Amino acid sequence: MSNVLVDLSNSMAAAAEKAGASTVTVNARRRMPASGIAFAADLVLTADHTVEREDGISVFLPDKTEVNASLAGRDPGSDLAVLRLEKSVAAPAAPAAGVRIGQLVLALGRPSPDGLEASLGVISALGGPVRTPRGSLERYIRTDTTPYPGFSGGPLADAEGRVAGINTSGFGRGVALTIPADLAWKVAQQLAEHGSIQHGYLGVRSEAVEIAAAAQKALKREQASGLLVISVEKDSPAEAGELMVGDILAAIDGVPVPDHDTLFARLAGDIVGKSVPVEVLRGGQPKTLKIKIGARQ
Amino acid sequence: MNLPVMLDSALDELYARIRPVLAVVRDGRRGAGAGILAGNGLVLTNLHVVRGRHPVEVTLDDDRTYPAKLVASDKRVDLALLEIPVDGGAAAVLSKDSPRTGELVYAFGHPWGQRNVLTGGVLSAVTSVHGQDGEVPILRADVQLAPGNSGGPLLNAAGEVLGLNAMIFGGDQSVAIPAGVVREFLEAARREHVPEGVL
Repeated sequence: MSNVLVDLSNSMAAAAEKAGASTVTVNARRRMPASGIAFAADLVLTADHTVEREDGISVFLPDKTEVNASLAGRDPGSDLAVLRLEKSVAAPAAPAAGVRIGQLVLALGRPSPDGLEASLGVISALGGPVRTPRGSLERYIRTDTTPYPGFSGGPLADAEGRVAGINTSGFGRGVALTIPADLAWKVAQQLAEHGSIQHGYLGVRSEAVEIAAAAQKALKREQASGLLVISVEKDSPAEAGELMVGDILAAIDGVPVPDHDTLFARLAGDIVGKSVPVEVLRGGQPKTLKIKIGARQ
Repeated sequence: MNLPVMLDSALDELYARIRPVLAVVRDGRRGAGAGILAGNGLVLTNLHVVRGRHPVEVTLDDDRTYPAKLVASDKRVDLALLEIPVDGGAAAVLSKDSPRTGELVYAFGHPWGQRNVLTGGVLSAVTSVHGQDGEVPILRADVQLAPGNSGGPLLNAAGEVLGLNAMIFGGDQSVAIPAGVVREFLEAARREHVPEGVL
C-alpha cells in the first residue's frame, strides 16, 4: 500500500534518522544520562542542568562508541552547555532557518546507547524574552511533544530532519521548552570560544513606563512602553554615552526595549564591547546615542 | 486535492481495512480487551486480557459473539491465541519491515469500553524491558492508550500490524509487543497446537 500517509510516515522516520545521526547520549550526571546535539565534529551542545560534574564526562555516539569529553563552557541562564570531544568523530547537525506555529516536529533524544527515541507534535507557540531561574532567555519555542526522561539536550527536528531547537526541562515548573536553533548555535559558538556568555553592562537603573501616543508617533512605531532612566552610575558606559536621568530608553541596537526582560536578553552575548545605537526619548523627542556596552563583572 | 484531504482519505482507508480484523475480547470481568483476527477462527490477544477464570467471549466487528478457547499462551511476552468457531475470514497482516523510530503509528482498540477507537502518534523507541522472565523486546509509542487497548494492534501507516499493544508493561508509556515476537509465538503455537493450513 502506497499513499500519502505512508509517504509522510517514511519522511518522518527519515527526518528522525537524519537529525538522530547528530544526537548523542551525554553521561555527565549520576541519574540517567541526557541527550546532546553535535554542532561540530568535536563539539556537542547539551542542556546545562544535565551536566552535574566537570570530570569524567563521556558521550555515546549513535554507533554506540564512547568518547571522553570535557566541559568547554556553560551558560546556566539559557540552560546550555558545550562539551568538547577528545576526538573529532561526531556528525554535525544542520540547523533549521526558522519555525512556524503549527509545523510538524519530532522531539528526539538518545537517553541511552540503545537507540534513538522520538515523540511527535507541532510547534504550539513562540515566546520570549523570559526570566529563567538563573538568568534569561531571549526567545523560546513551545511544542506539544512528549518530553521523555533523558530528552533534555536533544534536538527538536523539523520534517526535513533539520534542528529547529534544543529541548530542555531545566527551567523548572515541569515545563519543557525548546531553545531556538539560531539562538542556541550563537550561544554555543561563544561558549566554545570563551567558556561563558558575557553579560553586558550599561550602568543605569530604570523603570518601565508608558510611552505617550505622541511620543510613539515621533518614534515612528507602536511601542507602548520603554524604560525611564532613574539613575546613571558614575564612570559607566551609560555616562560615557551621555545617557541622562529622565531619558526613556526605547531601543538598543535596533531592538525595542519595552521592559527589563527584553533589556537583559538584549545585553547578553556578542553585544559586549561593541558601540551600538541607543534610542531614547528625551523631552518627548527621539534621539540616538552611541554607547559602548561594557562587561558586567 | 490538497495534502490534508489526501491524508484524511488515506486514514479512512486504513480504518476501513483494520476494522474487520479487530475483535472485542471479554472474560467476564469488568472491562474488555482487544484482539486481532489471525485467520481460520484464530484470535491474537494479550494473555492478561484472558487470564480470569471465566469463559472467554470474542465479539467480531459484525457484533456476533462467540465462545473462545485458549489454544496457546506465552506468559513471558503476554501473548495468547484464542480459537472461535468461525471458518476462514479476514486476517490482520503482520508487518515484515523493521520498525523505524519516528514513523507514524496508529493504535486501534476499545479504550474504556468505547469500540473501535484510533489514536495516532509516532514510534518512540525500539527497545526492551526487563520482564519477570528476562528481557522482552518492545516498541514504545507516543500514542494515547487506555484499558481496553490491550491486545489491540499498533499499526504502521500502511495498516500492517507493527505490534500488539500491551499496557501491562507500560507504566505511563504506550508499549507494544513487536510483530517479530508475535510471529514467533504464532509459529510456535502452530507447531504445538494448531493444525496445518492456517496463518
